[in-house]
Amino acid sequence: MTTLEKSTMEKPFHREHRSTVGTFTSDNPRIVCRSVDVYYGEKHAVQNINIDVGRHQVIALIGPSGCGKSTFLRCLNRMNDTIPDCRVTGDISMDGIAINGPEVDVVPLRAQVGMVFQKPNPFPKSIFENVAYGPRIHGLATNPSDLEGIVENSLRRAGLWEEVKDRLAQPGTGLSGGQQQRLCIARTIAVNPEIILMDEPCSALDPIATAKIEQLIDELRTLYTIVIVTHSMQQAARVSQRTAFFHLGHLNEVGETAQVFTNPQHQLTEEYITGRFG
Amino acid sequence: MSDQSPRGHTLDIVMAGLSKRRNAEKRFRFFGLASIVLGLVFLLVLFISIIGNGYSAFTYSNVALDITFDPAVIDPEGQRNPAALAAADYDTLWKASLLKLFPEVTERQEKRALNAFMGFSADKRLKDMVIKDPGLMGTTKTVWLPVDDTVDLLFKGKLGNEEELNERNQHYQSWIKTLKDQDRIHSSFNREFFTNGDSREPEAAGIWGAVVGSAFTLLITIGLSLPIGIAAAIYLEEFAPRNRWTDLIEVNINNLAAVPSIVFGLLGLAVFINFFGLPRSSPLVGGLVLTLMTLPVIIIAGRSALKSVPPSVREAALGIGASPVQMVFDHVLPLALPGILTGAIIGTARALGESAPLLMIGMVAFIVDIPKTFTSAATVLPVQIYLWADSPERAFNERTSAAIMVLLAFLILMNGFAVYLRRRYERRW
Repeated sequence: MTTLEKSTMEKPFHREHRSTVGTFTSDNPRIVCRSVDVYYGEKHAVQNINIDVGRHQVIALIGPSGCGKSTFLRCLNRMNDTIPDCRVTGDISMDGIAINGPEVDVVPLRAQVGMVFQKPNPFPKSIFENVAYGPRIHGLATNPSDLEGIVENSLRRAGLWEEVKDRLAQPGTGLSGGQQQRLCIARTIAVNPEIILMDEPCSALDPIATAKIEQLIDELRTLYTIVIVTHSMQQAARVSQRTAFFHLGHLNEVGETAQVFTNPQHQLTEEYITGRFG
Repeated sequence: MSDQSPRGHTLDIVMAGLSKRRNAEKRFRFFGLASIVLGLVFLLVLFISIIGNGYSAFTYSNVALDITFDPAVIDPEGQRNPAALAAADYDTLWKASLLKLFPEVTERQEKRALNAFMGFSADKRLKDMVIKDPGLMGTTKTVWLPVDDTVDLLFKGKLGNEEELNERNQHYQSWIKTLKDQDRIHSSFNREFFTNGDSREPEAAGIWGAVVGSAFTLLITIGLSLPIGIAAAIYLEEFAPRNRWTDLIEVNINNLAAVPSIVFGLLGLAVFINFFGLPRSSPLVGGLVLTLMTLPVIIIAGRSALKSVPPSVREAALGIGASPVQMVFDHVLPLALPGILTGAIIGTARALGESAPLLMIGMVAFIVDIPKTFTSAATVLPVQIYLWADSPERAFNERTSAAIMVLLAFLILMNGFAVYLRRRYERRW
C-alpha cells in the first residue's frame, strides 16, 4: 500500500475521484465546458470535465504529469484534431457558441484562441516574419506599414521590442530560449486573439526568463483571457486568479487560486500542492 | 561483495573490461576505413580503365593530302549542277593523291590497302567543299582528311605491337611512318564524336543523337515525375486519412520502388505503345516509362523528407490559425524541399542511366538522325553504350568508353546540382 493510498484513507477529506469539488462555474464565463471527455483510441485520457473559464482571468491548470491537463487545454482550440485517434466529446462553448462540433471551422477558432507551446517553436524565418505571418494569412493588415505596426505593437506587448528592434530580419531561432518564447507570445497576440492558451510556457526557461514571462502574463490579462498549464505551483499561485487541479484524467478541484492554495478541499489537492506527491 | 567498497569494486570491473572495449572500437574503425579504401580503389580502377580506354576517342587522325579537284572526275559533263556534283566520285580524288605520295605501291594487295587508307567521311568532306565552292574545280589544294578508323588506332598506338599486326596493318604502319616524317599526319579534336548521330562506321559515329535523345527523355521524366511525385508525397503525408486504403497504397508504392526496371519497360510496351498507340522508340514513351520507374523513388524520398520536419512547426502554424494547406506550403514544404529535391535528382539520375526498360520500347534501334521532337525515333546514352559495346569494330571499343565518360559527366553534373540545391535551400535556422 503506497503512502498516497494510506493517507487518502485516513483523512476525512473528499476522496472520491469522480466529482469535482469547489466552484467550477464562473459569473462571467468566456468558455464553458460541460462533461468533456477525451479518448486516445481506447484510452480514456480526460474524463467528464466541467469547468468555466472567466473573462479577463488567468486560470491555471495544475496536476502531475500525464493527468490530462495539456490534453484538456488542447480541446479549447481543437489542436487535438491533429492527433490521429483522438476523440473529444461533450460540450465546449465560447461566448455561448459551441466549438466542439465537426461543423465548426477551426481556422477562425484558432485565430480567436491563440496558443503558446511548451517548447519555444518560432518558425525558421526572420523575427519579423514570425510575427507577421499570422496577420498576413488572416488578412489583418491592409498595407505593409500596417503590418509593420502590428509587428511592432505585438513585440512591444510581448516585451521583446527593445531587444530585437535592430535585428528584425535575423532568424527567430537565433534568439535565446526566453526571447524565443516571448517571440511566440508576440506571434500569438499579433493575430489579436481573445483567449490565449499556454502549455507550460516556462518549462524550458531559466528563472529570469520565467519571471519576465510571468510579468507579461499578468499584463496580458487585462486584454485577454488566459488558460495556462503549469508544473510550478508557485507560478500558478503568482499568475492565476483561478486554479484547477487535475489528477489521472479527472478534474478534482477548481476554485479561486488563493483558496485552492491555502485551503484545499480535496485530499489529493492538498497533498499535491504541499509536495507530497507529483 | 558487500565488504568491498563499491567505488573500488566498480572501478576494477571497468578497468578490466576497458582494453576489450578499446579493441572493439579500434577494430570497428579499421573495418570502416578498410571498406572505404577498398571502395575507393575499385572506383579508381574503374575510372582508370574507362578513361585509359576512352580518352583517345576524343581525338582523331587526319592526313594532309594535295587534292587536285579534277573537273573530268567530278563533273565530266560540265553542267555544274548540284545534283551532279553530289553524285560524283570523290574517292578517286584522294586515292589519286595518296598514290602520288606512295608511288612504290603497285602490287594489287597493297593497292587495295591503300584504297582503304582514308576514312568513310573523307569523300563526304571533299563533296561538301566542292558544293560550297564550285570555284575549286581545276585547282590543287592541301586538305586535311580523316583516315580510316584502323589507321587512326594504329597512329594512336591503340592496336598492339608490331608483331601482332596483320599484313595490311603492317603496310599501314609503314605508310603512317612516312606521313609522320613528312609531317602530314596528326591527331586533332574529334568534333564528329560530339556532333554526329550513330553510324556503322566508327569514325563517323557520334553521341550527339544519344545525348539529345537522353535530354528529351529526361525532360519528359522530370516534367512528369517531379510534380506528380511531390504532389503525391504531400497528399499522402499531410492530408490523406490514415486507413486501410492509404496503408495499401503505401505498401504498393514501396513495392513498386523494388520492381525490376525491365518490368516497367514491358508495361510501357503494353500500355503506351500497344494500347495508346504512341510512336515506338520515341523519347515520349521512354520518358513515360522512366516516369513510372522514378515516381516511387520520388514519393518515398519526399514523404521521408516531409516526415522529418519537426511537428512543432506544424503546431505553431496551426496554432495561429493557418489552414492545413497554408501550413504545408508556407512552413513544411520549404523545410522539406532540400530533401525532396535530393531524392528527386537521385531518382532522375537513375533514370538517366537506365537502359533495360528502354530496350523494351524500341529505343535500342539503330538511329542515325539526331531526334528533333519528342516523338521522333531516338536512343539514349546508356543504350548507345550498349550498342557500341556490342559492335565488332575495334574503334567502337574506345568510343564505348568515351560515351561512358560522357554519361558519367552528366551524372556527376546532376549530383553536383543536387548538392548545390541542398546547400542553397537548407535552412540552418
